[in-house]
Amino acid sequence: MKHKTLWILVLALCSTTAWAANPFEQQLLNTIKQGVQEKVTGKPATSVEEETAIGRQIAGNLLGAAPLVKDAKLQKYVNNVGRWVANQSERPDLEWHFGVIDSNDVNAFAAPGGYIFITRGLYRLLQSEAELAGVLAHEVGHVIRQHHLKILQQSKLLDLGSQVVAKNVGGSDKVQGLIGSGAEIVSRSLDKEAEFEADRIAVVLATRAGYDAFGLPAVLQQIGHFARDDGDVALLFKTHPHPDDRLGKLGAAMDDRFDGVKGKTLEKRLYRIK
Amino acid sequence: MNLEKIVGDFVGANLFARGSLLVRMNSHLRLQLDGMKAMRLGLMFCALLLSGALHAAESGTALKADDLKVEPFRDAKTVAKLAAGDKVDILKKDGGWLQVKSAKGKGWVRMLSIRKGDARKGSGSASGVLALASGRAGTGKVVATTGIRGLNEEELKAAKFNEEELKLAESYASSKPEASKFAASGKLAARPFDYLPAPK
Repeated sequence: MKHKTLWILVLALCSTTAWAANPFEQQLLNTIKQGVQEKVTGKPATSVEEETAIGRQIAGNLLGAAPLVKDAKLQKYVNNVGRWVANQSERPDLEWHFGVIDSNDVNAFAAPGGYIFITRGLYRLLQSEAELAGVLAHEVGHVIRQHHLKILQQSKLLDLGSQVVAKNVGGSDKVQGLIGSGAEIVSRSLDKEAEFEADRIAVVLATRAGYDAFGLPAVLQQIGHFARDDGDVALLFKTHPHPDDRLGKLGAAMDDRFDGVKGKTLEKRLYRIK
Repeated sequence: MNLEKIVGDFVGANLFARGSLLVRMNSHLRLQLDGMKAMRLGLMFCALLLSGALHAAESGTALKADDLKVEPFRDAKTVAKLAAGDKVDILKKDGGWLQVKSAKGKGWVRMLSIRKGDARKGSGSASGVLALASGRAGTGKVVATTGIRGLNEEELKAAKFNEEELKLAESYASSKPEASKFAASGKLAARPFDYLPAPK
């Protein structure tokens, strides 16, 4: 299968331009083309359809590793909170999807196109709806700023894949070929600045949605409790700056901007997992 | 020798004993057979609860130097100056402020200047486990002892696409109007707020 995918890529490479005999030249050309396209149109080179197809593939793989918690009310609730928060962003028209996955890990994941998942382990630490909103808003931040998509674009394969991606909605070997193995992409570290940026976006989106801004900070304080070598936070700590560092940066960015801004915490409305 | 580690392990063992005690409580036969043992465990359990009670006021540590204020406002009078690493007891929360008690006095400090628990440590932090015993830190660590493995990179790498589960996930989507209705039922009102510039 791997070979087949590779073969398709090679074929595609050869067919796009006659003169580019070697893949490296072609990649270079694609990167330049993409850069030019972005400069000219002011839009990213990847369309929303492509972004969603890629996100869908990653989400399907992630669910292959950890299925949904089988609680329809919980899943609906998380979608309501998440969508309300996402509606406050500059991409309210994406088809946003949220879910709680069955893992004791403490983590949350975002995939391009608006697929966002939080683990049962993290959900159970939450004390209010505002905290849930804050965590989801952090992931919404990754999606709207296309942090993961940028990693894929940097790998220079995405532009090449454009033609195949758009036509293949659903589990597709061709899309899979673009995102690496399984859902590995969600375990890749973004650069620290992307995490700090998502934190800054999170407190703002939560505030815009009418929530208390300090939901995410409260969760970070809680997670800071965990020992670094605790298995449940191993991946989170590996791929994110330490919660203390995130709190420090966030504190500096928030400064006194939120003084006097009251919001709802909605402790009582938080859906409790059985 | 790392004393903290030993204390942590010890308390950890107690936690485990608490679990088995609860199991035994449910079984009268077992309770009779293990009466003596259970009583001993019970005493340990009480001691644990007591230590939890002593920690009822959640402890915290200043992440950075910040002012301790009379009221939870920036313009309020400064009571004292906290230095990074200062220990505090957290009394209550109001928006982005925490009321704390420290050796330097009682007052309000910005929530983001405080981390909960003692200063960052490695594993076996006694305070963390005690906090857990008092029910504060949630469930994470107890679950960890059951041996259920987390999502690691290898598992994510090996994950196979699950179409059925994905369709189920997609079936729970909320539309824009649906989400607005949900927000209104919680009296959440949208309001403008600018994005934050990155701190220098």
